[in-house]
Amino acid sequence: MESARLKRSLTGIVLLALAALPLFEPHQFVLHMLSLVAISATAALGLQLLLGFSGQLSIGQAAFYGIGAYASGLLSAKLGMPFIVAFFAAGVIAAVVSLVMVPITRLTGAALAVATLGFSILVYLVLKNEEWLTGGSFGLMGIPRASLFGYVLAKPAYAYLLCVAVAAAVYLSLLRLQRSRFGRAINAIRQNEDAARACGVKVTLLKSQCFVIAAFVAGLAGSLYAHQVRYLAPTDFTFWKSVEILIMVVIGGMGSLFGAVLGAAVVVLVPEVLREVGDYRMLIFGAILMVVMLFGEGGIAGFLEQCLRPFSKPRA
Amino acid sequence: MYLAELLAGALAIGCVYSLVALGFAMIMRATSIIHFAQGELLMLGSMSGLSTLWLLPKLPAVAVLICGMVASGILAVAMEFLVYRPLRLRRVALMNVITATVGMSILCINAARLLWGSEPLRYPELFSTSAYRIAGVPVSPQLVWIMAFGVVLMGLLQLFLKRTRTGLVMQAVAQDAEVAQLMGANLTRMMLYTFAIAGMMAGAAGVMFGSLFFSFFEMGFLLGIKGFVAATLGGLGSLAGAMLGGILFGLIETFSAVYVSSAYKDAIGMVLLIAILLFLPSGLVGLWKARG
Amino acid sequence: MPEALLEAAGLSRRFGGLAAVDAVDLRVERGAIHGLIGPNGAGKTTLLNLIAGALAVTRGTVSFRGADITRWDAARRAQAGIRRTFQNLKLFAEMSALENASIGLHAGTHAGIFAALARTPAQRAEEERIFARARRALEFVGLGGDAGVAAGKLPYGHRRLLEIARAFVAEPALILLDEPAAGLNQTEAANLSRLIGRIRDAGCTVVLVEHHMDVVMSVCDQVTVLNYGRKLAEGRPAEIQRDAQVIEAYLGRGDAPPSKHALA
Ligand SMILES: Nc1ncnc2c1ncn2[C@@H]1O[C@H](COP(=O)(O)OP(=O)(O)OP(=O)(O)O)[C@@H](O)[C@H]1O
Ligand SMILES: [Mg+2]
Repeated sequence: MESARLKRSLTGIVLLALAALPLFEPHQFVLHMLSLVAISATAALGLQLLLGFSGQLSIGQAAFYGIGAYASGLLSAKLGMPFIVAFFAAGVIAAVVSLVMVPITRLTGAALAVATLGFSILVYLVLKNEEWLTGGSFGLMGIPRASLFGYVLAKPAYAYLLCVAVAAAVYLSLLRLQRSRFGRAINAIRQNEDAARACGVKVTLLKSQCFVIAAFVAGLAGSLYAHQVRYLAPTDFTFWKSVEILIMVVIGGMGSLFGAVLGAAVVVLVPEVLREVGDYRMLIFGAILMVVMLFGEGGIAGFLEQCLRPFSKPRA
Repeated sequence: MYLAELLAGALAIGCVYSLVALGFAMIMRATSIIHFAQGELLMLGSMSGLSTLWLLPKLPAVAVLICGMVASGILAVAMEFLVYRPLRLRRVALMNVITATVGMSILCINAARLLWGSEPLRYPELFSTSAYRIAGVPVSPQLVWIMAFGVVLMGLLQLFLKRTRTGLVMQAVAQDAEVAQLMGANLTRMMLYTFAIAGMMAGAAGVMFGSLFFSFFEMGFLLGIKGFVAATLGGLGSLAGAMLGGILFGLIETFSAVYVSSAYKDAIGMVLLIAILLFLPSGLVGLWKARG
Repeated sequence: MPEALLEAAGLSRRFGGLAAVDAVDLRVERGAIHGLIGPNGAGKTTLLNLIAGALAVTRGTVSFRGADITRWDAARRAQAGIRRTFQNLKLFAEMSALENASIGLHAGTHAGIFAALARTPAQRAEEERIFARARRALEFVGLGGDAGVAAGKLPYGHRRLLEIARAFVAEPALILLDEPAAGLNQTEAANLSRLIGRIRDAGCTVVLVEHHMDVVMSVCDQVTVLNYGRKLAEGRPAEIQRDAQVIEAYLGRGDAPPSKHALA
């Protein structure tokens, strides 16, 4: 019980620190990168629910991320909708599209992985080829900055705070889900489907609910991305993006929400930091990725937890 | 006339996909790993074949093919030995091993860019340029040879797996590793063989694809995905299915590019893929077996 | 004649050419402890799977409280009050014993995604009820001290008990136990016999698959014997013990009876 309290205070401290960061007037670029971390973290949190909690391997999250980004970009750039409407619409549209794909949650393991992959390739092709709608390979330009209650968040610090706030809200929501009847049931499904069924858990229903929630969250993240970068190209949403989101979850630690955030930070920031070594940076990143896999399923979060263990009182 | 050339092209590229898919299927059967670096083995084989050609421009096509195969085979064994095996020995979750294969793929792509640059590289002509006439229809020799190589390689692999002791042991390990080990199979060695063969298949596919089009440090990405999809079309983990799936995917892709829409040529394959996964969970081979 | 809680008629299940369960009629009376015995491979687990809905029937019907449930899936049957344990233990290894038991209450409780997000008072009250009941179930089977331990880390005998707690926690009308005494020593088996008695006293009807004859003979009201998927005999434990055919089924195959005190 003590370790739970330690974790809660740590979460609070980290959130406060993140919120206070703009007071120190960091460089714009730093804020931009941290905004991207928060956006990626949001998408990764969604996949954590799907993969880490319910055990479903999707390598197609970029599809829903892309749908959210384009939906939000189009609604605000072409129809002039306010950001807040576009933002939630992005999530809802991604979730509705994911409903079409719900039958694939019957699949497991590698079959589910290929099916989600196939779907994300389809979405990519649509983004690339439907020029009348998406601008095709030229991309979608002229997306306005995010705004709230009529105020445009023109300063990078405000955009940053928005991204952090969304990531934090998703984080806390998923934390609540994790510790609920629903969270325990999907966890049970991951560990033993037969036994879960025998306890009366409607396995297929719950799995598809996870799929839809993950798509919703990815759509929200996509919307943030669209208004942060303000230019979308189909190449932002290829299979690699899906793999990136997957790497965040696995590197951070499967089943750990905090891990998903850490993983997002690593995947977004490490290549930036490695810019120093120029051409070798992705080479080194690949190597780091393989080494971190040696930590096992806990990933970085599990590793940190082991380091913290001596400081938290053992359970009586 | 035109149709024959199209068909030959479809079958040739289908052979390339089949070889990649075979590698995927063998590794998946033996270890349950989705080997994301399979496409990179193809790319490295293609680059190695090209490099030997630069050194020895007069080398016959078969020798280039073998060079590519050997290079990729060795690299695949190195991957298994240096990375995947240590991971398995630490008993990390399957998801971690799969993610490590993504890391491997990132590593290979970037190493290749440093070594061979980021421009697409053309293969010199490996085959005579004057068209063969088959039953009066002119067909490019390149396509004929690639099909021939593909068929011979797959035939040899089948012979190896069905007729040699080592091949049979490998099959047994893929079926049930624990039982096979009880019967005295050396798992470590069989895994190395599996990766060696999967690598060789990918290397051969790389040389074939390179001679048809070009070599490029990022070529493995899309080809790897297509190989994976082909393996699934046929039936995940079935070798016959992988071969069939590859050829089928080549046909679908080529003909839908011409007759449907070149922009959406990959889409048709994907729609079919999802449909097959949903309605024929064990792939096309499953359909066959259910009938039989 | 006492009322039947569960009735199977002409129940069959084939695996390829093998009839694992072959035209079995079964009638389990409300409030009974109904034993199901037979040599290895007789089809006991398969029959249990058919009743629990884990396997589809090839032919025949299952009815529960008078309703035909043959087409119901496993989750629906669990919700209706048929719970089971697994012969080869299927616990949620990473979850604590308490959480394992709490999953057993999934079907009877309601809080969904939105309630969990909003932490409504009803949801919080339900959570408390769930954990209080789960804790009581653990204490009932004698695992009160293990609530916080991950199921995968429990000793073997305790895992068997946790399976029972998870099945019993919702106090289902029918509980199917698949070899709960497997691997237990004599003391543990005797405790288990008493536990099964208490489960029945709590109002559950029990179907007990068991090789451990001490347990079967001491607690069962009625015993059905399966052999090669077919029903071989049925009756009170004492009758079954004397039944020549049953003895033949165990001895005639060359394998020793399942327990040395089995059919003396
Ligand atoms: N899923 C399956 N596929 C094929 N055959 C099966 C399957 N499940 C069971 N069988 C076969 O059906 C027969 C009955 O098996 P079952 O597990 O029901 O026996 P059992 O009476 O529970 O035996 P035990 O005492 O060993 O638990 C056996 O011959 C078994 O091999
Ligand atoms: Mg059994």
